[in-house]
Amino acid sequence: MDSSLDQLFASANSIILGKSHQIKLAICCLFAKGHLLIEDIPGVGKTTLAHTLAKLFGMQYQRIQFTSDILPADIIGGSIFDKESNQFTFHHGPLFNQMVLADEINRSTPKAQSALLEAMEENQVTVEGKTYILPQPFFVIATQNPAHQIGTFPIPESQLDRFLMRIELGYPDRQAERELLMGQLRHRLIDDLQQQINPQQLAEIQHAVSKIYASSALLDYIQAIIDFTRQSGEYQYGLSPRAGLALLQAAKAWAYMQQRDAVIPEDVQAVLAPVAGHRIRSGQTDSAAIVAPILEQIEID
Amino acid sequence: MALEPKTLKFLLVSVGLITLPHINHIPLSLFLFFSLLWGWRLLALSNPRLLPNQWITYLLMLIAVALLYIQHQGFMGRDAGTSLFVTALGLKLLEIKAPRDVYLIIFLSFIIAATQFLFEQSIIMAFYTLFVGIVLLSTLLLINSLTIPLTAAFKTAAIIILQALPIAVLIFILFPRMEPPAWLLFGEQNQGLTGLSDSMEPGSISQLGLSSELAFRVKFEGEVPPPNQRYWRGPVFSNTDGKRWTENSINSLKRLTENIRFSGQSYRYTLLMEPQNNRWVYALEMPAQFDDSLSQNGAYQLISPKIPTQRAEYQVTSYKQYNTGALSDRERAVNIKLPNPPSDRLLKLVNELKGFDGNQQQFIDNLLNYYQTRPFHYTLKPPLMGDKPIETFLLDERRGFCSHYASAFVYLMRIAGIPARVVAGYQGGLMNEIGGFLEVRQANAHAWSEVWLPGQGWKRIDPTAVIAPERVEQDVNIDLQIAEGIVAFSPMVSGNLSWLRQARSLWNSVDYNWQRWVINYDNLSQSDFLSRLGIKTIKDTFIGLIIGVGIISSLIALVMLKSRHRRDDPIVKLFHRFIKKLYPLKRHRGEGAETFSLRAQQQYPNAAKEIAAITRLYYRLRYFPDYSVEELKQFKEQVKIFRL
Repeated sequence: MDSSLDQLFASANSIILGKSHQIKLAICCLFAKGHLLIEDIPGVGKTTLAHTLAKLFGMQYQRIQFTSDILPADIIGGSIFDKESNQFTFHHGPLFNQMVLADEINRSTPKAQSALLEAMEENQVTVEGKTYILPQPFFVIATQNPAHQIGTFPIPESQLDRFLMRIELGYPDRQAERELLMGQLRHRLIDDLQQQINPQQLAEIQHAVSKIYASSALLDYIQAIIDFTRQSGEYQYGLSPRAGLALLQAAKAWAYMQQRDAVIPEDVQAVLAPVAGHRIRSGQTDSAAIVAPILEQIEID
Repeated sequence: MALEPKTLKFLLVSVGLITLPHINHIPLSLFLFFSLLWGWRLLALSNPRLLPNQWITYLLMLIAVALLYIQHQGFMGRDAGTSLFVTALGLKLLEIKAPRDVYLIIFLSFIIAATQFLFEQSIIMAFYTLFVGIVLLSTLLLINSLTIPLTAAFKTAAIIILQALPIAVLIFILFPRMEPPAWLLFGEQNQGLTGLSDSMEPGSISQLGLSSELAFRVKFEGEVPPPNQRYWRGPVFSNTDGKRWTENSINSLKRLTENIRFSGQSYRYTLLMEPQNNRWVYALEMPAQFDDSLSQNGAYQLISPKIPTQRAEYQVTSYKQYNTGALSDRERAVNIKLPNPPSDRLLKLVNELKGFDGNQQQFIDNLLNYYQTRPFHYTLKPPLMGDKPIETFLLDERRGFCSHYASAFVYLMRIAGIPARVVAGYQGGLMNEIGGFLEVRQANAHAWSEVWLPGQGWKRIDPTAVIAPERVEQDVNIDLQIAEGIVAFSPMVSGNLSWLRQARSLWNSVDYNWQRWVINYDNLSQSDFLSRLGIKTIKDTFIGLIIGVGIISSLIALVMLKSRHRRDDPIVKLFHRFIKKLYPLKRHRGEGAETFSLRAQQQYPNAAKEIAAITRLYYRLRYFPDYSVEELKQFKEQVKIFRL
């Protein structure tokens, strides 16, 4: 497993250049059974990242381009009258895939957004009284344009909470940019990628992550973080209990990726910005700046 | 903010505890009204439909206003004010709608807890109030936290109060003390102040309050008279109806017939009078020279031209020895007059004391001796004397303060045909070492007698001095007198002290010291105490205050910071020891041990291996499941031997 993990990272890094930390976080998010939100301007490789991950994990992949006129039925699917059987049959929408890339999610109306987000939360879809289970594993990568761009509907805070992590990709550095310019087209490269981990293995990994040990000393630290966000006055509102669970889960996945059986404070610190950055609000906009007071002021024993 | 029934119940209990002591202080009807509202609210906890609607609330408010008006005729003063607060609290209990109502109730409760000190300042009450303070704080904690259990809230509140105590004590000691207005310090009913008035009726006063308010200051040029010579002359009472003593108009006329002949020691001094309601200027007996603006009346009292509304200063010279000379017929008549023929019992007493034998000095001595040998008590809480105060005092009760002794003395003198009168004024005064002046306070108010003897003129006799030598021989210690409440000079009961009596005497001494050092810590004892510490000006005081609060706060902060580090976990302690060994490298706040270790390894490449090993072990022990004893030992050992 160790070598296959290394290979996984290597393959992903060969496609998306100079973003190894973001790739690690994205994979961590997948291991922790959470969904990922990528917030950045168009063209920095959000789609490429999603496509690469789908390929590496051998998952069925579907991309949904969110537009301002997209309807819930366009995402979930809908019932269509079948003349032959003389009844309505449900046609599965693009959501029924293992990996779904919800592109530019904040271009759509809140109604369409919530159709997706509710499916993410419950892992199932109910249409006209009938419940349809989504495939497993089920992983959503949503991308979002920065809110100040024209024609966007920002996702409400309550729904942002459904994403385990929010990351920013950012521009590649100079060297990576040059390699990118000199290299082949990305989607050609993706086509050539080999699957590294199959869905069965992924399920095992996700199970192993949930078994990672968190000592009471570590839980003290996580609680100190939660209390700090609620009481220090740095934030308009603190982390919810769900956010606390998410933080622990992500830290466990991170510990797993470091091949450790127990979570240490550094694991928590590594995932804190992507996990907490979109769940609390301070004067800052950058995730790292938002969580900086937490990292600087809470003492660890 | 959680307004759960449990929290409200706790709030009600604390409100009840706070109001309870006032059962003795406010009229019973108002207390019952409050109890009714309180009980109503308690019932409504389980059944909110019982809560009154708007109209009933208005009605209750009207009833409250009516009750308050009937009992107090207004809202001014200590009693009415307290009643108002308690009633308002009861009404507010029925109106808890939003969190801010609860805050209001809690703040009101704090005020009510404080008002209780206007009535009682005992040490037990102080601890009780401290306790209810903790209960109130824990209510606040419960309201503001969804999860905190009751015991934890109580503990936190107690810690908060404990932390605040040192600062409270410091502020108590250092903060400039105000003289409280008299109505605040003393009860409003049946209590007379020792401030002087133009009449005296000792038999009808059941409790004499002692005010530490300043009456006047005296600055001597040269020698200061000894304490037992410090008699400051005020109004002279010649008229009596047997109960009440008043000035005779003849005293207000200037004496024309004969001047006083002065001899012996003279004292030159400046009087600095506080504003007062009379034109009296209290000169040391007997004033010879004084400012031209002053005049002396027929009873040798100095009178100012008008009522001083501001402090006034006068230069006076007094002589210790004097002879007032002859007495006019008119004066003799006024000062020998009895309201009615003396009763048989009094006549018998005067006869026993040889008052009718003609030897006046002998009679005076006998009477003083009578005071001294019979069980007379000096007390500030004398019983009421009824219709015949003189007789009751002399023969039955034998308990009283200076006015009783002086008036009874004068009365008996007159029965024996000796011209006598009561002189009111002040006695004593405390030397203020810093200012170099004498401070005479209202509590120094005194009354003594004057008899006219042929060849000697008016002669001062202070019968109280015989009873309570302390009252005259030393400076009057206000603190002491208030502390003991009743100054009774009966011989101490000696013998074996049982443990109960020992406990009682221990308690008495605690209580006395509480009175002496806490309750009676007024601006006089404060300036005295602080000057011994070298704090003499108000500026020094404030600097001391700032420095003191600073030091205490930093000490508390230090202890709190320390205790954050001082976790019980020995593993953490060991690791902190290890970190200290890496000095000058320091671990940042919020830095994980692993991150720190990597930094340390870079800084000290030679020790990198050991640093990494210790950190690994530390994390193994702290964050991984089930470490072995062996690993713990290893960790201890490695930290112990680690050297840079």
